[in-house]
Amino acid sequence: MTVENRYDVIVAGAGHNGLTAAAYLARAGMRVLVVEKNDWIGGAAVSRSLHDGWTYSNCSYVCSLLRREIARDLELPKYGLQVIPYEGGASFTRDGDYFAYYSDHNALKREMARHSAKDADAYRCYSQAIMRQCRFIRPFLLRDAPDPASLHPRDLGELAYLVKKAHGLGSRELGETLKFWTMSIGDVLDEHFENDLIKAHLAGSGIIGTGLGVYSPGTAYVLLHHYMGDIDGGIGAWGFARGGMGAISNAIAASFKDHGGTIHTGSGIEKILSKDGRVEGVALEDGKVFYAPVVASNMDIKRTILHHIDAAELPDDFTKAVRNFKIRGSSAKLNIALDRFPNFPAAPEHTSFLRGDLHVSQSLFELEKAYDDWKVGRWSEKPYIDMLIPSQIDPTMAPTGAHMMTVFVQYAPYALEVDGVRSAQNWGEKQRSAMAETVLDQMSAACPDIRERIVHMEVRSPLEIEREVGLTEGNIFQGELTFDQLFFNRPVPGWSQYNLPIEGLYLCGSSAHPGGGVMGAPGANAARAILRHETRHGRMKGYAA
Amino acid sequence: MSQFDAIVIGGGVNGLVAGTLLSRRGKNVCIIEKSSRFGGMASYSVDGGPTLAHSLYNLSPRVLSDIGIDPQHPVLSGKPVSTVSLSEDGRHIVFKNEGIFWSEGAKHPESDAWTDLTQQLITYGGLLRQLAEAPPPGGQKAILSRGGLNELLRLAKLGIGLKKLGKSEMRRFLQVILSNVHDIVIDDLPEGPVAGMLAADAIWGSATGPRSPGTVFNLIYRLGHGGNITQPAGGMSALTDLMVEAAQKAGCVLMPETEVSRIVLHDDTVSGVATNNGRTLTAPIVLSNLAPRPTSRMTGPSAFDIEAMRRVRIIRARGTAAKVNLRLKDDATLPGLPSELAHERLIYAPSVEYVEAAFNPVKYRQMSKAPVIEAFKRQTADGANWLSTIVQYAPSDIEGSWTETAKEQLAQITVETLSRALPGLGDQISGIQVITPDQIESATGAPGGHWHHAEMSLDQLLTLRPANGMARYSMGPKGLFQCGAATHPGGDVMGLAGRNAALAALEAQA
Repeated sequence: MTVENRYDVIVAGAGHNGLTAAAYLARAGMRVLVVEKNDWIGGAAVSRSLHDGWTYSNCSYVCSLLRREIARDLELPKYGLQVIPYEGGASFTRDGDYFAYYSDHNALKREMARHSAKDADAYRCYSQAIMRQCRFIRPFLLRDAPDPASLHPRDLGELAYLVKKAHGLGSRELGETLKFWTMSIGDVLDEHFENDLIKAHLAGSGIIGTGLGVYSPGTAYVLLHHYMGDIDGGIGAWGFARGGMGAISNAIAASFKDHGGTIHTGSGIEKILSKDGRVEGVALEDGKVFYAPVVASNMDIKRTILHHIDAAELPDDFTKAVRNFKIRGSSAKLNIALDRFPNFPAAPEHTSFLRGDLHVSQSLFELEKAYDDWKVGRWSEKPYIDMLIPSQIDPTMAPTGAHMMTVFVQYAPYALEVDGVRSAQNWGEKQRSAMAETVLDQMSAACPDIRERIVHMEVRSPLEIEREVGLTEGNIFQGELTFDQLFFNRPVPGWSQYNLPIEGLYLCGSSAHPGGGVMGAPGANAARAILRHETRHGRMKGYAA
Repeated sequence: MSQFDAIVIGGGVNGLVAGTLLSRRGKNVCIIEKSSRFGGMASYSVDGGPTLAHSLYNLSPRVLSDIGIDPQHPVLSGKPVSTVSLSEDGRHIVFKNEGIFWSEGAKHPESDAWTDLTQQLITYGGLLRQLAEAPPPGGQKAILSRGGLNELLRLAKLGIGLKKLGKSEMRRFLQVILSNVHDIVIDDLPEGPVAGMLAADAIWGSATGPRSPGTVFNLIYRLGHGGNITQPAGGMSALTDLMVEAAQKAGCVLMPETEVSRIVLHDDTVSGVATNNGRTLTAPIVLSNLAPRPTSRMTGPSAFDIEAMRRVRIIRARGTAAKVNLRLKDDATLPGLPSELAHERLIYAPSVEYVEAAFNPVKYRQMSKAPVIEAFKRQTADGANWLSTIVQYAPSDIEGSWTETAKEQLAQITVETLSRALPGLGDQISGIQVITPDQIESATGAPGGHWHHAEMSLDQLLTLRPANGMARYSMGPKGLFQCGAATHPGGDVMGLAGRNAALAALEAQA
């Protein structure tokens, strides 16, 4: 053991959460090493140049959830992060019309009234309900989830905070909150609206990344998960990171390195080393070994526990609970280089809504049917698609006059059914391009010339996402966002506070509370847990908690 | 004009329980029922065929003692029936208290896993039963009042019960209760008829599929009283007869074939009801066994504030279960089933995925082409043999309405589906009754023909049942109470909703 390969903390995986945890720990004065299997960093918050002149945000593609506390603490703007909000979006019909969503309230109301006067009135009530839920949930994101079975003062304290917050709502509002959290987004929208297109437009955020349908209870929460972010204080607003989503990871990495951090790329973790129930370090695939009393894994819980640790080191019931943790691949992605801006015949000239998220789903039934296809191992015949052309706002993404398009596809199964056999191995070239054709057919409803505009296209099935990023089944949240896997149940009951059954081993990715999205909260919370535990146990004397 | 202390609208199980309990506490009670029979879904039948409800699994012993029925009464002393999960290959699986077995007698390899899971859920059910036997928590009572202290005591008992489970079981409870039945079953059991049976038991009467979060709760609800399934001696109507007898013995005035046209209000206070035969009955308390929406129609919307009316309007109650009764030929046997199993509870649900696929069409207002079925072979009073089946899913709001053709199609689908496991069943049938959810609605008043009157989903349970702000039985005008399945804890032939409502009405008067 030499000084060179000894650190205070090793972070496994340079995703944005791993980097966030590392940056906090480096700022606390620790010697931190981040190891990454790819030659580049960022995990799923990454910008890649796969076709000369174009930059793809080829996994995550828009930004809102990144906690502003984290951006402030890590001084991300100083390290180059710039997030530009976009102003709207639209759902196109198949007969040449559209429903446009504007961030300007009055414009939105006029547009809704064009489809349904009743819905225009109902929107106010609906958006207030959503906003109330967002305000309720936001303070919990950067706090630990209490263990309800524990009598530890910290758990009791967190529990008391929860009760206080809930009590503060008043009994009427608390009832509404409980109801909202347990409902399906389809039922919520049916309660408020009558127009199919408006409902379909608003429902999308309830299913993105999730193995649930719009009528599955709990999808209202998934919607909330997409609305609780903000850009410059605009709650629920989404935007583009200038330079693609990789700009976020790069800014965090720059902040980290500036405080003495080291990043080792190009070799993944072979094994997390432990002895007598205490972590010792990591062995890499390239044969290098690094030692540290603390290892924080940015990999999802299944990958961490089932692939990189000796089962003998872990209690059986814990391993079983991890095996039963649900991480379901349900999304695919198309990244497209366009020679010029595609034609949207329905859209008025110079409209702002083309700069936002565009969709072609017509009704809640269509979305629900898309889910039914996924349940039996097929990609949706009419998938939900979320397409954006960020190069309109951020010209660094494509050559002058050309554009870059990102297309998120829900649903695509990980284990694809072909000839009666369900397996991820079925995702060959043929199946991937067949899926891409399905998606392009859908997109043609909005932009009929899309196929002629394509210069280069990257098609990513859940299998590619898993292989490249390391996310199990390509699930973007590192675990389903269902009630039984949220808050104190995330990732598994009894282990919701970032530490794991091996002493010194922590989880800092979005398998942990509060879950996925380019949020940074699991990373920041894990760093806090590490500082608290490790300084208390005297293993890191001198560091401030 | 007749004067009563309390009037119960609707003589279903919960109405009978509420009326009887109030009578036994010294009130002068009248129970009004629009049909000629009391007992609601438990006694409703067409042309002497089998009743809608055809088995008992969570009748509350507490209710029985409160209405003065001896739990050892001969009608209730039927021995528990086993469940048989039917299989196309003829190797049916028999679920008994002591484990699961192949129909030929050998122990099934999944027996232990099934027993562990079921026992765990029964334990959780026992804990939740404490909640079911009282109004839902979260009432706005002064903490130091008697009711407030009682509520605290109950919650403390639940808390202690949870603690007694031990840390890891307590955590598991808090996870499982929120989960979906697909996941918890597939975690412990391989896909197949054992898993399928558990999935089926989690969806009866509800508009959910095994993958819908919250379905484990439905399963626990079924198992809340230990999980034994029995059939009353003499059929379900023998049980409702017993309840009617108990009501009479307690001094209730029973008024069959009388419809309430209006709940009469004075100054926002209930003063009685008007019936369609022109009578006015007065009482300071009216308990409605109907769901909130039909109840609000009887008072008129002006009795409620606008927000309350909105909440009543959006209560979800899509009935998805149809009753299909197959009349069997006189000497008929069930083909492919050993004779000793003929009188057990038969389930057709070959896998979890099958149940989920059956659920798909109902989302789009279609009936399942391959439904999940629960069947009992039974003899009606006239000596006729029937296969009494509950068929899911058949939506109340089926596209194009329940025409004769649609009903015939459902009958055919039912016979075809059962014939896969009981080949040749069709030849044993001499007639078919199809009772669709919309028929159940018009016969019993249950919205959508839903046997819980309101979907048992997490957002319509406990303090949110039937709707936020009206969970403690009183509703709108002073003196009006709900006592039906739409209220906490919910439906089935259980009686707790009626009992809790009667106690709430008594407490409000005290």
